[in-house]
Amino acid sequence: MIESAEVKDRIREYVLEEFAKTKGIMQITDQEVLTKNGIIDSMGIFRLVSFLEETFNVRIGDQEITHDNLESVDAIERLVIAKSKK
Amino acid sequence: MAYVLQQLLSKSARLYPDKAAVWARGTSITYRELEERSNQLAHRLRKQGVQKGDRVGLFFPKCVESIISMLGVLKAGGVYVPLDPQAPADRVGYIIGNCGIRVLITNGEKRHALTPDTLATLEGCILTDETSNSDGIVAWTSLSEFPAAHAPEVNLIETDLAYILYTSGSTGRPKGVMLSHQNALTFVEWCAETFKVTSEDRLSNHAPLHFDLSVFDIYNTLEAGATVYLITEELALFPTSLANFIESQAITIWYSVPSALMLLLLHARMTAEKLKSVRIILFAGEVFPMKYLRQLAELSQESELYNLYGPTETNVCTYYKVERERLASLEKLPIGIACANTEAFAVATDGRLAAAGEPGELYVRGPAVTYGYWADAEKTRTMVVPNHFQHHFEEKMYRTGDIVTVGDDGNFYFQGRRDSMIKSRGYRIELGEIESALLSHPGVREAAVFAVPDEVIGNRIRAVVSAHVPDSLTALELQQYCSTRVPKYMIPEVIDLCDELPKTSTGKIDRVRLAQQAVAARQVPSTAGQQSLQSVS
Repeated sequence: MIESAEVKDRIREYVLEEFAKTKGIMQITDQEVLTKNGIIDSMGIFRLVSFLEETFNVRIGDQEITHDNLESVDAIERLVIAKSKK
Repeated sequence: MAYVLQQLLSKSARLYPDKAAVWARGTSITYRELEERSNQLAHRLRKQGVQKGDRVGLFFPKCVESIISMLGVLKAGGVYVPLDPQAPADRVGYIIGNCGIRVLITNGEKRHALTPDTLATLEGCILTDETSNSDGIVAWTSLSEFPAAHAPEVNLIETDLAYILYTSGSTGRPKGVMLSHQNALTFVEWCAETFKVTSEDRLSNHAPLHFDLSVFDIYNTLEAGATVYLITEELALFPTSLANFIESQAITIWYSVPSALMLLLLHARMTAEKLKSVRIILFAGEVFPMKYLRQLAELSQESELYNLYGPTETNVCTYYKVERERLASLEKLPIGIACANTEAFAVATDGRLAAAGEPGELYVRGPAVTYGYWADAEKTRTMVVPNHFQHHFEEKMYRTGDIVTVGDDGNFYFQGRRDSMIKSRGYRIELGEIESALLSHPGVREAAVFAVPDEVIGNRIRAVVSAHVPDSLTALELQQYCSTRVPKYMIPEVIDLCDELPKTSTGKIDRVRLAQQAVAARQVPSTAGQQSLQSVS
């Protein structure tokens, strides 16, 4: 069973390193809306989903790739935890 | 007949006062409300000192107020300048200074993001999310104090400017394409006739408002008394949600860049059912790969599909209605034939008309063609040139920079560019602007930016940089530096550092070789800036 805090740390680190920092954004909060200021673009969404699937060994369906599920580090963590319990 | 854009709204407000004109983020406004609120805004702008021809900036994410603002500025006699809400403060500040914007319509968050220098140049800001006036700040809610029944008296004619759209500039700064009411209406009237837009239509608006695709969405909606559905950035990112949106809002006319349609095909489990309301699909801004176009055509059997072509300087100037019976055999999608009231022709390098099949640069003449670039007479002279085929009077034509051929079927076919402009996700990007951004970093000695073709988004951007002091720079640091100068879609995904860039025999940086090496390496840039370009260093 993955610890919630660990999940969140890894998601935050990935988003920060992969998307935010290259765009000049040096820190993000867990509530920050990642889609709002272009932190993640349309191709980035699918890179993020691949990362989640590989790292946490979960399967995320196309219909689950929604704003509600992926809008922030908090939301992504909730999705991963819910998926890994199934 | 309308000769200024706001007349399109006034006509529909009389005919369909209670019909929804604009929908965004779950709310909508009727034609009457749009007419009245834009009148009020126009009066407020006049009080603010806005005079005929003055530029007013719009700097906030797409919402109902965006459309009110456009119309309000026009009714005040002004020229609106939509600013990319995601652009860095430096770039927005440059544009505000370049075209002399003194009044900005924005929101609290976006105003806060401006630099102190930029703020100091502004005489006033109208904030869409503010409820009380203060020094230099006008609250949106205070607009209700102004007359709603009529717009201010302003004498405008069709050749007056309506809006300025900034696009990437090869010399390192964006350039402002000036568009008049006549430029826009020439296109809008052609669309109305060709696509038979009616008051029953429900148009999508996928493109950002600083992108010329949105001109069709907004003004053809107003022309017909239809409804436009503004697709926010957040919604556009999620293909499944977007597919559901098309179905639930029963969109009848869709217009976007091909890459947006490809994301729907690849990731939204698109079905014919979801597209059943759509009668016309328009796409423009980049080349649509035939493989995906065939898939789209398969799913949208009842829809008409059109490939629209044209730079911001002409809006759409040629079009091709997809012939379904030719789809299987067609290797390359034509850009078609000239729109009504527009002439397009291929000119060979020696200045004569190119023969059939011979490559030539596409030139465009007609009332849709821009006057040129704001405050850039030199650039204007090189792009908007005298029509040397006309000896009896002076006339201008626009050089698109696109190399085309005329096929046996009479259609134009796009072959490439004569310069280093590329398209990525439909955005027009001058690689020179990114190189200038990199070279402005004090530690950078040489920089070359090049594009690597990508099936879905058109091109990915990569850069190779050498530093004055070896090992003194990192890719991440340079990406962050770029983020302060250029929009996010222009930041190179990968920046390789090397001791010296490869040169041609004449001593120029060999961009062709760099691009070929990048393609040959077939590296999918998954972790930005991590790869090294060993063949170069």
